[in-house]
Order: sequence, then structure tokens, then C-alpha cells
Amino acid sequence: MTGRPMWTTRRTICTGGNVVAACLGATLALAAMSPAQKAIYDSYATTAKTADAAFTDFSASRGQAFFLGQHAGGKPDTASCTACHTTDPKKSGRTRAGKEILPMAASANPKRFTDAADVEKWFRRNCNDVLGRDCTVIEKGDVLAYLLGL
Amino acid sequence: MLPERATETTAAGRIVWDRFVRLFHWLLVASVAGALLTGFFGGYATYLLHIGFGCVVAALIVLRVIWGFTGTTHARFRDFVETPWAIARYAGRLLRGGAPTHIGHNPLGGLMIIGLLSVLVAMVGTGVAALGGTAKDGPLASATSYATGAAIAGVHRLLAFSLLAMIALHVTGVLLESWRTRENLVRSMITGRKWKRPERAAGSAPETTRAATTVARPTLAAAISFGLAALTIPAVVAASRWPVLGVPVAPLDAVLVKECGSCHSVHHPSLAPASTWRSVMAGLANHFGETATLSSDVERRITQLLAENAAESWDTAAANLLRRPNPSEPLRITATEGWIGIHRGVPAAVFASKSVAGKVNCGNCHGDAEAGIFSRRAINIPMEKFP
Ligand code: HEC
Ligand code: HEC
Ligand code: HEC
Repeated sequence: MTGRPMWTTRRTICTGGNVVAACLGATLALAAMSPAQKAIYDSYATTAKTADAAFTDFSASRGQAFFLGQHAGGKPDTASCTACHTTDPKKSGRTRAGKEILPMAASANPKRFTDAADVEKWFRRNCNDVLGRDCTVIEKGDVLAYLLGL
Repeated sequence: MLPERATETTAAGRIVWDRFVRLFHWLLVASVAGALLTGFFGGYATYLLHIGFGCVVAALIVLRVIWGFTGTTHARFRDFVETPWAIARYAGRLLRGGAPTHIGHNPLGGLMIIGLLSVLVAMVGTGVAALGGTAKDGPLASATSYATGAAIAGVHRLLAFSLLAMIALHVTGVLLESWRTRENLVRSMITGRKWKRPERAAGSAPETTRAATTVARPTLAAAISFGLAALTIPAVVAASRWPVLGVPVAPLDAVLVKECGSCHSVHHPSLAPASTWRSVMAGLANHFGETATLSSDVERRITQLLAENAAESWDTAAANLLRRPNPSEPLRITATEGWIGIHRGVPAAVFASKSVAGKVNCGNCHGDAEAGIFSRRAINIPMEKFP
């Protein structure tokens, strides 16, 4: 699993004073995001910026660490996102009930992160199962940065 | 070696059973054996084969009945159907010794033929009704409720046991009569010939003269057969295609498939009663150990959809067999007595295999699970990962 932290190495092309969302969108366009993915990503960025004016970027490497790491507070048999999604987001995973989960990496599955309500629904469920709480907007954005950039 | 009441032997013998009778007899033996074996031991895998054998039996019987009125001398019913009085008299003489021999069937044999034909007719009839009611398949599907079909299936099973008993009796009779008359009757049913001439019992006319002059009417028999086929086959096909009440036809709602089919194969609403669905939907925050919460409008929509199309609304086997929840695990379809009973023959290792991936994934074995049909025809256990 390489998990190239491309987000952090990518140079931002926007200048200060722009709306953060537009700026981040322009940057992620380099990673061939679809308009739907971009809109979702931008909306998380906007929320993060609203909550904390000092916010600049989500981090793919932080997202990677979060996604692959073990967590406490959730259910014992799902202590990590990898329990269902596997450690390679480009491969299919499996639900606990036995059904295939298509790859999470947008490059391997272009349909990923194209429906805002679905993304929120699964974050709500999965974070609760893994962490026993909701994920913060930063955690969500980081995970998206990781999975959209793979 | 000849019996005391000797009958003469003729060198070439005479044709007693015509080609049709012999062919009918052995095809019937084969198809009844096939139907009994698939019925008792075949399970779901031989479902269509069992129905096929039943159809062959039905066709053979119709042809035999027609031939019974148009065929050669000893094929005709009037050659071997006797009054109860005559049968009793024959049986008495048989017990005392000194019963006459017959070229065709003796009166007891004739009774057995009628008995076997009647039981087979009843088996075909109950089979079609059971199929229609329980599997919602075949020409009676639209006319038979599950409850009626299930009750008739019980009669079908009883008839199968009585058929077995009658077959045993028939074979015993044939062997005894072969021994008594020193004529290999099994061979006669193959060659069509009998070699012994019937003895004329003193004072009585030969038992065979009644129909001795009958001429076969094969063209008439064929015409009647084709006419009947032309009338009944389209009628059966049309009846089989008649819309069946109580069987889901509409495709599942896309939202239900998406929301309830992401972690396991989606359950058709007909698989549980409305009360179960309401409990499942009320407990999504801890759904079998997992968080499966929905937005409140989607949750409301799915709850309504499940409740309105729940088991109470349908008459399929699945709806009937799975509609009573198990009190100790009320949310599980797979904990109902019905589900456990149906799947008793499926080894646990099959459910545990990777390709089946658990009891919850009905759709991995039932190709029509999403349609709510659960026909035996659509069962296909994925075995690629299972040795
Ligand atoms: C109990 C199994 C399970 C665990 C653990 C799990 N997920 Fe998921 N996740 C799923 C399933 C199932 C889906 C839906 C997959 C689909 O739509 O194909 C999903 C979907 C998602 C989606 C939405 C994808 C999209 O295209 O909309 C995101 C985001 C996500 N998971 C993130 C996570 C994160 C982050 C973690 C760890 C905190 C995690 N998941 C842990 C089962 C799990
Ligand atoms: C987040 C994943 C997830 C989602 C979404 C989900 N389920 Fe489940 N469901 C499960 C798990 C896990 C089980 C337990 C499977 C097992 O024990 O094999 C289960 C079991 C069930 C069972 C019991 C199956 C049995 O054993 O008879 C029913 C009924 C059921 N789910 C209905 C639903 C319905 C209705 C929905 C849609 C509202 C739904 N599920 C959505 C994960 C999910
Ligand atoms: C291992 C694969 C497998 C899975 C998974 C499975 N079934 Fe079955 N099912 C079978 C087999 C095999 C039969 C036939 C049993 C027999 O007749 O001997 C059957 C029979 C049935 C029947 C009776 C069909 C008839 O008319 O005779 C119903 C109803 C049914 N299953 C419902 C379900 C439901 C509901 C689920 C999911 C909760 C399910 N099955 C999961 C294999 C499976």
C-alpha cells in the first residue's frame, strides 16, 4: 500500500482572498475529480473553513492514517475502517453480512463520493461503528482527500 | 413339471399384448419410477424433472384410456373389467384352487389395473393442484390458494405411499400368477406373447370369448388423441399463464433495494409480517450490531413500503412459511420455524462458504429472491468456492 500523499505535495494554485471552496476545487481538479465529487469535497471544505478560519487544506496523509488505523470507542469487531473496506482501497471489501463492497478509491471506482447524502449517511454509520461517535468534518475531509487522490 | 391343471403349450404362442400396451406398460414403469424417486429423494434439484415425469404419466394414462375403448381385444377395458361379484367369485375359486386361466388379465389383475390407473390419475390431479397452490406454478396456480395446495400436497404424499403398496401387490400378483399358470407373465409383457392356451373350466364358457372378435381402431384412437391434445395443451398453457393473485409482480422499489441491499441481499417485503418490519425499522440504530440509520424521510418511506407489502399481503410459499416470527429472535427471518424447516437439508458449511456468505444473503442462492418468488426453479447454490 503506497498511499502517495499527493495532496500535501500538490502545489495550490489559488491565492489568498479566494473562497476556500473554489480554491480547493481548482486544486483537486488536477486529480480528475468529477463535478459531483468536487461539489461534495468543496462543501466539506466550506464547513471546515466556517468552523475554523485558520483551516487551509484537508490532508490525504492524515486521511490515510485515519482510514488504516485502529480506533477505540466503537464496536470490537470493527475497530478500523479496514475491517470492511480492507487495507487496499483499490480492492473490494466485504460487509459483515457478507456482501461485496466495491473499491473505495475513486480511481478504482468512479462512482464513489458522488451522492452527498450517501456519503454523509455512511460516515454517520461507519464512524459510529468504528469510533463510537460522529467523525469530525476534518476527519471526513481527510478521508475524502485520501480516497479521491489515490 | 407341468401343473396339474395342465394347459397346452402352443409353439409360436399368440400375441396377447399389442405393441401399444407393451410400450405403455414399460414407459409407465419408467416414468412412475422416475416420479417416485424424484418425489421422495430428489429435493429441489429435481423439481422440473418430477413435474416432467408427472406429465409423461398423465399423457400415458390418457392414451391408455383411449386405447381401452379402441384397442385390440385384450387391451380393452371390457376384456378385463369385471363386476365386483365376478371378481369375488374368481378370488374364491383361486383360494380353493381351480380358478380358470385367462388369456388377458384375470379379474383380480384387471381390478389392479383399474386401481393403479385411478391412483395415478389422482396423483396427477393432486400433484397439479399442489404445484398450483404451493409453488404458484402450472395450470392451477391462479385457482389454488397456498393452504389448499399444502393440504392437497399431503394427500399427494399419502397417495404415493398407497401407490407403492399397490405396485408391490401388483408385482406379487404377477409372480404368483406366473407360477400358477407356468407362464412367464413378465416376458409376455415384453414379447406380447403367451404360449399356454387357457383351459376351459368344465361347464363354463371360455372366459375370453366375450371380446374375442374385437377389432382395433388405431386410426380412431390417434384421431381422438390428437383432438384431445389440440384442445387440452393450449388450455393448460393458457391457464398456466393466467395472472396469479397473491404473487408479487412489480419490481422492488429502487430506494428499498439501495438502502436495504447495501450490506446484504435485499429482503423482499413478503418475507416477514408488517409487525416484524416495523420493529426492524425502529431498530436501525443497532441493526444486528451495526448502525444502519437512515434519514427520517427515507426511513418513513421504507417502513411504509415494507409494511404495506408484508407477508400478510401475499400467498406465496415464502410469505406463508415465514410469516410467524420466532419469539426468541423476532427480527430474524432465518430464525422462523418455516425457514429452518425448509433449509434443514442445506449443510451449515454451505451457508458459511464465501460465495454464499451467510443465511441472510437469500439472493446468493435464490435467483428470484428480489422478486419475492423463491421458485425451486431459481435455486442455484454458488459452489465455486465450496468443495
Ligand atoms: C461495518 C463495515 C464498515 C466499516 C467498519 C466501515 N465501512 Fe464505510 N462503508 C461500508 C459500506 C457497506 C458502505 C457502502 C458501500 C457502497 O455503497 O458500495 C460504506 C461506504 C462508505 C462511504 C461512502 C462511499 C460513497 O461512495 O458514498 C464512506 C465515505 C465510508 N464508507 C467511509 C468509512 C470510514 C471512514 C470508515 C472507518 C471510520 C468506514 N467506512 C468503516 C461499510 C463499512
Ligand atoms: C449497515 C449494514 C446494513 C444495512 C444498511 C442493512 N442491514 Fe440488515 N443486516 C445487517 C447485518 C450485519 C445483519 C445480520 C446478518 C447476519 O447475522 O448474518 C442484518 C440482518 C438483517 C435481517 C435479519 C436476517 C435474518 O437473519 O433473517 C433483516 C430482516 C434485515 N437485516 C433487514 C434489513 C432492512 C429492512 C434494511 C433496510 C432498512 C437493512 N437490513 C439494511 C446489516 C445491514
Ligand atoms: C445456501 C443457499 C441458500 C440461501 C442463502 C437461502 N436459501 Fe432458501 N433454499 C435453498 C435451498 C437449497 C432450498 C430448497 C430446499 C429443499 O427443497 O430441499 C431453499 C428453499 C427455500 C424456500 C422454499 C421454496 C419452495 O417453494 O420449496 C424458501 C421460501 C426459501 N428458500 C427462502 C429463503 C430466504 C427467505 C432466504 C434468506 C433469508 C433463503 N432462502 C436463503 C438455499 C438457500
